[in-house]
Amino acid sequence: MPDQRRGLWTASALAVALVTASVGAGAETLRTNILADPAMVDPITFSELVAGDILGNVYEGFTAIDENGDVVPALAETWEAHDDNLGFTFHLREGVKFHSGRDFTANDVKYTFEQLLLPGNKAGINAEYLESIVGADKVKAGSATELEGVKVIDDHTLEVRFVKPDVLFPIYSIWFMDSGIAGEHGADWATKASAGTGPFAFEAWNRGQDVKLRAHPDYWGGAPEIDGVDFLIVPSDDTAISMFEAGELDVVYVSSVPEGRRILKDPQFADLLLKVPAAQIQYLGMNQNLYEPFKDPKVREAICITMDRDGMVSGLYGGAAFPLYGQMTPGVAGYNPDLPAIPHDPERAKALMAEAGYPNGEGLPPLKIATTAPNKDTAAYFASTYKTVLGIPVEVETVERATHIKAMNAGEVPFFHWGWSAGYPDALYFLSQVWYGPSVYNRSRWQNDEFDALIEQSQAVPDSAERYALYQQAEHVLLDDWGTCPTTVRMQIAAVRPNVEGVHLTPFRFLPFQDVKIDEAG
Amino acid sequence: MLAYAARRILGLIPVLFAAVVLCFIAIQFVPGDPIMVLLSDQSGDPVLEARLRADYGLDRPLPVQFGSYIAGILQGDFGLSFRFANLPVSQVIGTSLAISPILALTALAIALALGLLLGTFAALRRNTAADTAVIVVLVAGISIPNFAMAAFLVYLFAIKLGVLPVAGWGDPSQLILPVVVLAIPPMAYIARLTRTYMLEVLQQDYIRTARAKGLRERIVIWRHALRNTLVPLLTTVGIIFGGLLSGTFVVETIFNIPGLGRLAIDSIFARDYPVTMAIVLLFTLFYASINLLIDLLYGLIDPRIRLGGGNR
Repeated sequence: MPDQRRGLWTASALAVALVTASVGAGAETLRTNILADPAMVDPITFSELVAGDILGNVYEGFTAIDENGDVVPALAETWEAHDDNLGFTFHLREGVKFHSGRDFTANDVKYTFEQLLLPGNKAGINAEYLESIVGADKVKAGSATELEGVKVIDDHTLEVRFVKPDVLFPIYSIWFMDSGIAGEHGADWATKASAGTGPFAFEAWNRGQDVKLRAHPDYWGGAPEIDGVDFLIVPSDDTAISMFEAGELDVVYVSSVPEGRRILKDPQFADLLLKVPAAQIQYLGMNQNLYEPFKDPKVREAICITMDRDGMVSGLYGGAAFPLYGQMTPGVAGYNPDLPAIPHDPERAKALMAEAGYPNGEGLPPLKIATTAPNKDTAAYFASTYKTVLGIPVEVETVERATHIKAMNAGEVPFFHWGWSAGYPDALYFLSQVWYGPSVYNRSRWQNDEFDALIEQSQAVPDSAERYALYQQAEHVLLDDWGTCPTTVRMQIAAVRPNVEGVHLTPFRFLPFQDVKIDEAG
Repeated sequence: MLAYAARRILGLIPVLFAAVVLCFIAIQFVPGDPIMVLLSDQSGDPVLEARLRADYGLDRPLPVQFGSYIAGILQGDFGLSFRFANLPVSQVIGTSLAISPILALTALAIALALGLLLGTFAALRRNTAADTAVIVVLVAGISIPNFAMAAFLVYLFAIKLGVLPVAGWGDPSQLILPVVVLAIPPMAYIARLTRTYMLEVLQQDYIRTARAKGLRERIVIWRHALRNTLVPLLTTVGIIFGGLLSGTFVVETIFNIPGLGRLAIDSIFARDYPVTMAIVLLFTLFYASINLLIDLLYGLIDPRIRLGGGNR
């Protein structure tokens, strides 16, 4: 027993020390919530949303987005495409300092690319953006350590060569890191030091509690006005909202549907909310290889016009969504604002089913709509709608998340409602990942040669307007074939305390908090 | 006594081994694949998947995986976390280690002290209005689920009155609500048991003898009666502590406390098996230790019980 008592005393002494420390740190720190511990805090193994919310403040790439979601130069000031369309020359910003105080140069860019490709590094999703660089396959396979296709011309000029055109390369969110960091802090530097150029530097990660960032005084865009950012790890949105109400959070990002509904309706929050559509398409996947009746375009059209998108927005999502009529979302470059609304016409849908040979659903084999536990309500809505209106014998099947994703990737799920988030600020990401024939993420296995040709063509067009026209043409091919039913776009909801200014919510979540001002009197 | 303790500690080894084996087998039946979780929603590259599977040794047959896991544990190596890139399990668990036991033990201490007081109070006023009132409160304390109690207390003390923080860890004030939520059900349980045992003890001959000797009532109750109610109570403390440890799962999640309970839940959802297994082992160890401690305490409270023999 004495031992345990001593343990308690040590713990309370520690707690007191912690409180004193946090008071000493000053009150001008922005406090916001994240849903879980980040799985990593370095830009190489980076592969998930929570880590992205934090690291976006610490690391930067060639370009960034502004508060309207438009691409703006960041660490590259200008760049030009090579005449053969197989490369770029980047002119890097001068006078950029890493958090360590070292200068940012072209060598750091090359170093980052190589670190992302080296097989021992377990690199995350950013590595995928490098695949078209000359020699990337060799570094990836471990047969080379130097990336042949990247040439450092001088400290601030860099040339990148591709094996095939990759016109979007400058907007990929590849975060550059300090090439001197591992030499200074060892291979496990990630939790000890900060290797970025961003407005905030990584300071500490207290697992289960918070990730702390401190302002970077030498930031090229001007030192932030606040001292730092605390990302408090709060798994439950309900708790996060309570903490916001009690003044323990300055900004709260609400991810869960029920909590979102609640604060949308709460008059206390009316003036504090930011509401922006997410850069995420949602769609009904209909796999024609797995369910024979989906082969008939009449059946697919019937399914698409039976759903009541406005009803879903108000009923299912409590207003926290927008109807979606295409497969590109508002606020993402390439989006087509002129797409006609898909009608809600159950009568025509019934007639189409009869024409297809399935009057009132007669003769249809049983069908399962697969989903995960958090999305069960939406799946239940579809199942009951299709059962009652069209007589399709649909049952809901709830599956564990990773199992569901694996099955979808393998093309083994006949009917599902799912989404896809933009990995970079251009709508090509939706079309080329989800609907392009050869993509592993074409989860409903819809395939159309004309669509695929348009996507391949657009990947080689440097002119943006010309490229967007190709996206929209491809999107029409998809929609005219009723290859999918676009459903809704999720509305991101965040609340900001009235004394906090300069928090920008974009379709790509929050911008880095560099413009934030906190009025302490408020 | 010492030989007995040593024997009991040795006896822990097969218990821990059984826990590892059971947990390892159970995990194989859980749907979901850690590598798919690791790859996240938008990363289904089959080459990357195969490479990660090999990196974590998950492409080997199960008996081989099990063998190397056991071999690792014996050398104090619990492996790498699946969820946190490149972090060893020991580092993931390290900062959380003491939190759940601190919460559970603080709650237990409070529950014991208040439970004994309330139970004795009720027993001495048997069948009066005060007794009934205490019983009603106790029944409520046992029946209200801890998450509902937590929501109510947070609303009242943190949002309405603003005197206590909603959630978090590090500040002593953040310890209050979670400990109260944890302590209420066992407190009520202990109070009810104390009341029952006390009523039984008060009928015993030695109490009558003590009173007949002219001892003051206070001494009769607190020295003679209470001491005798402690023995049967002590047996239940082990079970109560187990309940408190599992209670930390819920309370740490609600109050956002970075202890082993919440880490266990996060790890199970993320299919972070190495961390999950290590936490199961630790909880088994905590539970076994408190039971060992209780067995040793019997001897102190009741001189008739002497374990290991030789003293009589």
